[in-house]
Amino acid sequence: MEAVSKRYPGTLAVDRVDLGVNAGEVHALMGENGAGKSTLMKILSGTFNDYDGLIRIGGQTVTLHSPAEAKEHGVGMVHQELSLARPISIAENVLAGRLPANRWGLIQRKALFEEARQWLEYVGLALDPRKAVGEISPHEAQLVEIAKVLSNKPCILVLDEPTSSLSREETARLFDIIRDLKRRGLAIVYISHHLPEVFEIADRVTVLRDGRNMGTLSIAEATPQKLVQMMAGQTIDEFYAARHPEIGDTVLRAVHLTRRAYFHDVSFALRRGETLGLAGLSGSGRTELARSLCGLDPLHYGTVALHGGIIQPGDYARAVSKGLVYLTEDRKADGLFLRLPVSQNLVAALTARHSTMGLCRPAKDAAVAQRLFTTLHVVAPSPEVDAGTLSGGNQQKVLLAKWLATKPHVLILDEPTRGVDVTAKRQIHEAILGLTAQGTAVLLISSDLPELVGMSDRVLVMRQGRLIGEMQRQELSEEAVLLAANGHYAFRTPDTVTSNTGRGAVRPAASLQEQGRP
Amino acid sequence: MNTQTTSSSKRSAARTALETAGIYAVAATLLVAGVLASPDFLTAENLLSILSGVALLGMVACGMAFITYSGNMADLSLPTTMAFSGIIAVASLSLGIVPALLLGVLAGLAIGAMNGLVVGKLNANPILWTLAVAFFMEGFMRFTWSNNQLYPEIEPGTPGAAFIGIFRLRTGPVPLIVLVMLALFAVAHLVMTRTRFGRESRLVGSSRAAARSSGIRVSRVVFFNFLAAAFAASVAGIFLTSMNKLGVFYLGQGYDFKAVTAVVIGGVMLSGGRGHIPGVFGGVLVIGLLTNIMTFLGITAFRQNIVTGLVFIAVVGFQQYQLRARGKDYA
Repeated sequence: MEAVSKRYPGTLAVDRVDLGVNAGEVHALMGENGAGKSTLMKILSGTFNDYDGLIRIGGQTVTLHSPAEAKEHGVGMVHQELSLARPISIAENVLAGRLPANRWGLIQRKALFEEARQWLEYVGLALDPRKAVGEISPHEAQLVEIAKVLSNKPCILVLDEPTSSLSREETARLFDIIRDLKRRGLAIVYISHHLPEVFEIADRVTVLRDGRNMGTLSIAEATPQKLVQMMAGQTIDEFYAARHPEIGDTVLRAVHLTRRAYFHDVSFALRRGETLGLAGLSGSGRTELARSLCGLDPLHYGTVALHGGIIQPGDYARAVSKGLVYLTEDRKADGLFLRLPVSQNLVAALTARHSTMGLCRPAKDAAVAQRLFTTLHVVAPSPEVDAGTLSGGNQQKVLLAKWLATKPHVLILDEPTRGVDVTAKRQIHEAILGLTAQGTAVLLISSDLPELVGMSDRVLVMRQGRLIGEMQRQELSEEAVLLAANGHYAFRTPDTVTSNTGRGAVRPAASLQEQGRP
Repeated sequence: MNTQTTSSSKRSAARTALETAGIYAVAATLLVAGVLASPDFLTAENLLSILSGVALLGMVACGMAFITYSGNMADLSLPTTMAFSGIIAVASLSLGIVPALLLGVLAGLAIGAMNGLVVGKLNANPILWTLAVAFFMEGFMRFTWSNNQLYPEIEPGTPGAAFIGIFRLRTGPVPLIVLVMLALFAVAHLVMTRTRFGRESRLVGSSRAAARSSGIRVSRVVFFNFLAAAFAASVAGIFLTSMNKLGVFYLGQGYDFKAVTAVVIGGVMLSGGRGHIPGVFGGVLVIGLLTNIMTFLGITAFRQNIVTGLVFIAVVGFQQYQLRARGKDYA
């Protein structure tokens, strides 16, 4: 790939990236969220019908404007989100698009199942190919997905975070397969956040940041510190002003929170005016923890206390009325009312507060909406245009404003600036700072490390559903957080953590030894 | 600041007026067409008869609007709710006219409550669930009353005679049913625009997921929407039973589809969250005018159904097109 670019409305997601992958090589692609890894690979797999730059496969220049074209040129891609049809048998999924048929067009079931069984065997699955995909576990499905892509006999294989749902043994098995494919001369692109995996399997590493290629290293030259530095960059000091938060008493206390299969025995405390960051890789259970904490999702065990009063699990409306609110990570799915005017979005969380005896107060609504519209600098022709017509950054401002309007005691922010341009990001950060200055406690989930490090007073690190430790402001750096989230960094022992955080702090739930992976 | 505030609310009022204007333009066109079709069309008598003709439909449409508006598309059990309310009212006439009417409405509300609970709390698909309820209720009524029609006593002075009389009550020249319909529309309009419930219904209709994560008790809102629809249908059902002078399971058939048609041509989006009651009233008027003109032209009832069906298809197609034009991204 030479000088490949892809422009999204408002941002250049991939900026003239050169990437060369040799046959018989495992080439790791690393970078923070939003660095452009997935976009680059989507270009390669023919997701977009417009991009700039050249792509050459086997010396030949090709245009990849549809997934079918990409497939034809031998590009096989295993996506992070699975693309299997759940009610259909494994065999039909694996061989979708080229089911063996006789000359009447009828499927030859025997041949179908036999071929599928061979592919399953190759990826180490002893499953009956007649079973429906819906009946097997997510990690088995992940391997089926890989079998499906391999059955197309690709010459370039792209794996996007393939191990996120695999156990240790399955990961080892996958690595054996990758090594075997490498021997057979495939070019393999391996996308991962997990440093140990990259060092185990890759021959070379390319790091992307902000859509640009930061350099390619052979694995012999690379060290974890070096890679992390390349990924993280040096943007914090310019962007985040020094802040002197006034941190008060404990507002929210979470004790032994557990939701089976998502997070386990999580305890922490949050204080007035404090911004508490929550770090972790995707799949570490951060979002799930936040949603259960406020009552949007079930909680199996543990208690959440706000100002000493217990928050009933599963009753989000009550939590909101008490001032514990959650800003969703997916504004399109459950954040905004895209088909309603901005003004109505801004006051959507105030229906209870702006009504007396069941009657609503339009004048009050309008005044609040107008004030928020102005203070957050929402760029729109008027507050009466539909929220869906706004740009991502402005949508995100509206979403934040909806919660600012409720003057919450505790605000949980889940990826508050995802897919947002720099100006909007700064405005959102200013709004958050204004809120904490008034005493609101913020729990910040962010995969944007400069943001997490720049905004947080303290950071909790989650890994595989457990809280594995916490870092104070003075020890925060992008490198440290990234290494910790990878389970790479030796924390001070839990005991020191407890004594250092003092009043209101809770012992971290798990020590380092208890984690699954090294 | 203050002037800006009022101007923004004025703007949204203007938008509402503009959206409603469309359906009234159609109604006006039909009025002109009616005058051209027959000289007898534009008489007070005929216009009142048009209104009485659509009064029951108007009541049901008024209730159905809550269902559509809150994103639940349609309550297909409203026809059986109408029949059931009527039957219960007739069956309990021995208790006196007032208790009978109350019990009739309560019976309808019970169905609405059940629907609201299942759709709101258990997230059942509203169309499929209410279809099943309609099927069940029809069987239930046929079984309980052994397929019979229930006749009220019609001796003068009995509650039965009073029951049959309510359909024919008038204040001056205006029939009671027209007044009740107008009252329901007025109340519905106020509820939708001026109450917390109305506002939350719009949010739930626009996006159930976003409403939930804005701290709105979605299941409660959906519950009361179904209750409101059942209430309107019960009132209409009692009038319908009074008109027919008998209670029977098949009364109310066809009202579901006609009501949805009125709601949708009145500008309430099938996808929820958009539209308003004055538009629905316009939709009801258009259906009334259309039916009346077709009758004047000597078009038979079955062919009228074909026309109503075509109008529905055209309007839904147009709405879908509009949504797509706004961008599939957020339609």
